[in-house]
Amino acid sequence: MKKDKASNKTLQTAGRTRRSFLQTALAGGAVATTAYLGLTRDLFAKEGGPIVIGHHCELTGGFSSWGYWHDKCAKKAVEVINEGGGIAGRKVELATEDTESNPATGARKLRALIQRRKASFVVGSVHSGIMLASIPVATELKTPYFSAGEATEATGSKGTRYSFRTGTDTYALAAAGAPWAYENLGKNWTMIFPDYAWGHSHHQEHRKIIEQMGGKVNDPIAVPLGTKDLVPYLAKIPEETEVLFSVFFGALSVAFYTQSKSMKLDEKMKMYSVSGTIEAIDPRAIDGAAEGVFFLENFPRPLEYKDDEYHRKFVEMMEIDPVHAKEEGSSRVMAKSHAWQSWENFFALKQAIEKSGWNTDKDTPMVIEALEGLEMENSLAHPQGSKLLRAEDHSGMIDCYISQVVDSKFEMKKHIPRADMMAMLPPRYDFTKQPL
Amino acid sequence: MELTIALALNGIVWGLIIALIALGLSIIFGLLDIINIAHGDFFMVGTVLAWFVAETTGNYWLAFLIVPIIGFALGALIEYTVIQPIKNAAALSIVATFGLAIILQESVRATFGATPERMLPPIHDTIPMFGIEYEVYRLFAAAASIAAIGLFFLFLHRSKLGTWMRAVRFDPETATAMGIPARRIYLMTFAIGFAMASLGGVVAAPITTVYFEAGVDILPFCFMAVIIGGLGNLGGTVAAAVLLAFFEGVITSFTDPTFARIGSLCLMSLVLMIRPHGIFAGATR
Repeated sequence: MKKDKASNKTLQTAGRTRRSFLQTALAGGAVATTAYLGLTRDLFAKEGGPIVIGHHCELTGGFSSWGYWHDKCAKKAVEVINEGGGIAGRKVELATEDTESNPATGARKLRALIQRRKASFVVGSVHSGIMLASIPVATELKTPYFSAGEATEATGSKGTRYSFRTGTDTYALAAAGAPWAYENLGKNWTMIFPDYAWGHSHHQEHRKIIEQMGGKVNDPIAVPLGTKDLVPYLAKIPEETEVLFSVFFGALSVAFYTQSKSMKLDEKMKMYSVSGTIEAIDPRAIDGAAEGVFFLENFPRPLEYKDDEYHRKFVEMMEIDPVHAKEEGSSRVMAKSHAWQSWENFFALKQAIEKSGWNTDKDTPMVIEALEGLEMENSLAHPQGSKLLRAEDHSGMIDCYISQVVDSKFEMKKHIPRADMMAMLPPRYDFTKQPL
Repeated sequence: MELTIALALNGIVWGLIIALIALGLSIIFGLLDIINIAHGDFFMVGTVLAWFVAETTGNYWLAFLIVPIIGFALGALIEYTVIQPIKNAAALSIVATFGLAIILQESVRATFGATPERMLPPIHDTIPMFGIEYEVYRLFAAAASIAAIGLFFLFLHRSKLGTWMRAVRFDPETATAMGIPARRIYLMTFAIGFAMASLGGVVAAPITTVYFEAGVDILPFCFMAVIIGGLGNLGGTVAAAVLLAFFEGVITSFTDPTFARIGSLCLMSLVLMIRPHGIFAGATR
């Protein structure tokens, strides 16, 4: 009792009672909590200060061979933007978080980017699982999020007013490449892919087009993730198959090409795939396993197939050789068909922010409106080429390229202009109708 | 029917490679009571070292000799620095080996890189086998695995060191009282476990992919073999690995591959329910 009195006295001598102390502490706690939850973000947003742009990137884990390039592109883009005076005269501050190539970690790191590191916009993940786990978080926190993965749901059934993608999705890739492959490679198709969203999405979109064109699509072969021995799956490919369409990434890609080659499948059928399957892989390093395979690319690997000053400068800035896209002084090969998005998305944001007159986070709806239907010109800011960020489904309409690996080098077989692709690609969703 | 036979045979071949890797896991658990989460990464280190030796010397066969020796040395070092300090707190082994797995993966990623590499098999030929072109190297890999497993059992039952290992495994206190250097046996057992996993890596590298996360996916299959075979039961582990891969191969020929994997997991659950000490529990420990 005596002790209580003494402690009360101590508080009172400081000009406070126990009750007022508790009230102050509770109020402080409440303010800290709401600040943490991001409810007072506008209150703390500094007008005229740096603009924080988050980068949600796979620095470690299964996608790290791609993540390295996304990180490099983002850093260089911010460097170029700041050297040119920033965005609307404000410096850009890059905040990077490693998703660890894991959807659960990715969603948590996105919250950290937006709530703790105060990112106003986020250039997002190339991992479809992470991107799909992140869009609800970005939407809840009302922050524009640029996906770079290919699962169509990000700008489809699971897309929102806050999700954008300047690159292609499975819907666009099927529209761009499947008609050419059907006409030139064969009419009886078998599809083999990893048993998760990205693979199934490719299968559904390609199947639709091949069947519409009168072709036959055999039963799909979905390979469980983490499979080491592909022989049981490759052995199930029907004899009558003319085109084997495969969708894999990283280690599973190498295993697929190695094992299908050793089973001589490439002698019996044409092999067709998308760039993700050979991304960050040098055909020379896998000893001819990818020889003869056709790939649909977003950005041709050799400079010569889009030989202009912007592409040349981009290649120089990325410190890669102009033929194999291999980094100088290392064995890394640029994940070129995807990583350009982590460069261009910063410039797309710059264009939209400056066009909209964005000042603080409360102005974000104006940036979203500016992004919807944004035309981007072929330039150093957009070295992949001119493109449109379609208003309805927030999807990038871009040129694509069909290449074949010949003597371990990519040889372009067909350039598909974006107009041709768009003719096959009516918007299936209209996000502009969603409230902001 | 042809497809079923081909996939069943391929299952046996793959199962033998897994058996070689899982055997290392089983001896580490059997003797040291260590649940080694890093065992898959011991395999991964083996694949990377094999690739490195083949790339630098141009001779794959040299990897057969060098890599298990490096694996043995690394295993001894890890036992001394990581396992020995937690010897009296077995529960900590999961945390310690999990940390070790991350260190091994990230060390390989930082040095070797994150890009998967292909290693060419030293034997390029294929033979037609029940409707598919089958790699001759796979048959060699199966034969090499049988030889390595056979040699290990010979060592365990016919050598003085092997007898000491079995003695320490059976009753460490009595073995120590009889003058067997138990401490050194623990170290050697862990090192042998690492060497066997890395030898598995050498054998499997030309079939799979050389990659810093290659061990992550192989670990569950090894654990399934160890559990179904009976924890610490070495012969049971080998038999279970082969049976599981055979079972998955046969099921895959009839149905979706994912169902085959689900089937394996159901089989494991069934074994755990009916025979919690594993199918071959008779000679456990």
